[in-house]
Amino acid sequence: MPQRFQITRAAELESLSVFRQFISDCCASHNVPHDTVFDLKLAVDEACTNIIEHGYKGMDPGSIILSFRITPDRILVQITDFGHIFEPSEAPKPDVEAALEDRELGGLGLYLIYQTMDNIDYQSSEDGNTLTFTKYIK
Amino acid sequence: MFKRLRVKAEPAKPGLDLGEISISQLIGDVSLPVTIKALNSLPENPKLRLYRALIPIQVLAEFDINPRTWKNPDKLPQVRLDAEHGSDKVKITAWYGADPQNEFFYLELADNQYSGIDLNFLIANNPLSEKYRTDYDDEGKETLFGTVRRNLVEEQRAMQAGLAPGQIREGLRCSNIVFNHIETFLTMMAHHAFFLEPLTYVSAWIFEKRGFAYSKGHQLMDTIHKEFQPGGELHKALDGSTPFRQPDQWQTVRGRAWAIHDGILQVIDRKWDDLKMIKQIGRQAGVNTFPDAKY
Repeated sequence: MPQRFQITRAAELESLSVFRQFISDCCASHNVPHDTVFDLKLAVDEACTNIIEHGYKGMDPGSIILSFRITPDRILVQITDFGHIFEPSEAPKPDVEAALEDRELGGLGLYLIYQTMDNIDYQSSEDGNTLTFTKYIK
Repeated sequence: MFKRLRVKAEPAKPGLDLGEISISQLIGDVSLPVTIKALNSLPENPKLRLYRALIPIQVLAEFDINPRTWKNPDKLPQVRLDAEHGSDKVKITAWYGADPQNEFFYLELADNQYSGIDLNFLIANNPLSEKYRTDYDDEGKETLFGTVRRNLVEEQRAMQAGLAPGQIREGLRCSNIVFNHIETFLTMMAHHAFFLEPLTYVSAWIFEKRGFAYSKGHQLMDTIHKEFQPGGELHKALDGSTPFRQPDQWQTVRGRAWAIHDGILQVIDRKWDDLKMIKQIGRQAGVNTFPDAKY
């Protein structure tokens, strides 16, 4: 039976280190390989930063719910927020081929999640926005 | 670039104005969220059958009210349902004794502008406990839970008796079962969540325990907790300048709530407003902005 872990914190930058520690703790109890843990932290960091900086923009920030479901061969991550609905198709696509000095700051969040995670899914409604991704354990 | 990112918008929800619906339409598509307005368009008896599920039988039994008939042993009505045709609200009121003004339970649900459900009011007081007239000022004007006017003498008595701001009597301590009923009812109506605005710090803390998250105001709750710690601005402002700002109040949920009700958030340039909480059906968010709290 998969084990489920969950933590909820305010959508503020101080919460990022709490989420990283949460991921470390969850993974440590399941002997998840270090490089997988690194990827998970990176993806969660990027997704939550996006929520903090854009999802709750102009609002008194609400919650971010981070949940993990761990099975022997995969980790399912769900990140839920109640901020503005995000339209991935409208997000500017970063030019990763451009020279460093010509690149815009930021904008790599989705790209990094795409690079590091396996299946990615996003659902949004007025009842909350949920980004789900899976990381297979190799 | 995002070819593996699958975006699924929730199925479009119906607009608020569903118009008349029949029972067969209501039960015909289990995934279709049904609005309060649509329910209110049902004939009286089916409407009553559905809304009856909103008021816990344990609460009614406590006061000898039959949960099926909503009458007391003398066959007198003790519960009223307000769910008028065309309205997007439902109100259920239960009272103790012969006077319908002596309400001990009041629940109001409403459609919101996003086709979701707002819990506008939930009041559950013990009608046999002492009443504090915090709901009227000394000129007899309504205070609206102390939000527009205050009755300082009665508030002080209420605080000393252990009540929270906004309360006129002891609570029935039944919010857990009431929320279970609301969730069951909203599941039947195919909703995913419901929203509310916590009136006080105590309310927000209780709703956290009941599994709510914040769509607005989580950071404010964290700030309040931080500033009530020794050395924080709110802690310093508990200077005894009013009966509601005594030095030890930072240690309890109620103490903080009375200080906030007294306007202490001004010292950090904040106000108690614009908080919004959401309960996702079947999910406990696990928010805890006051760890190891004493009530």
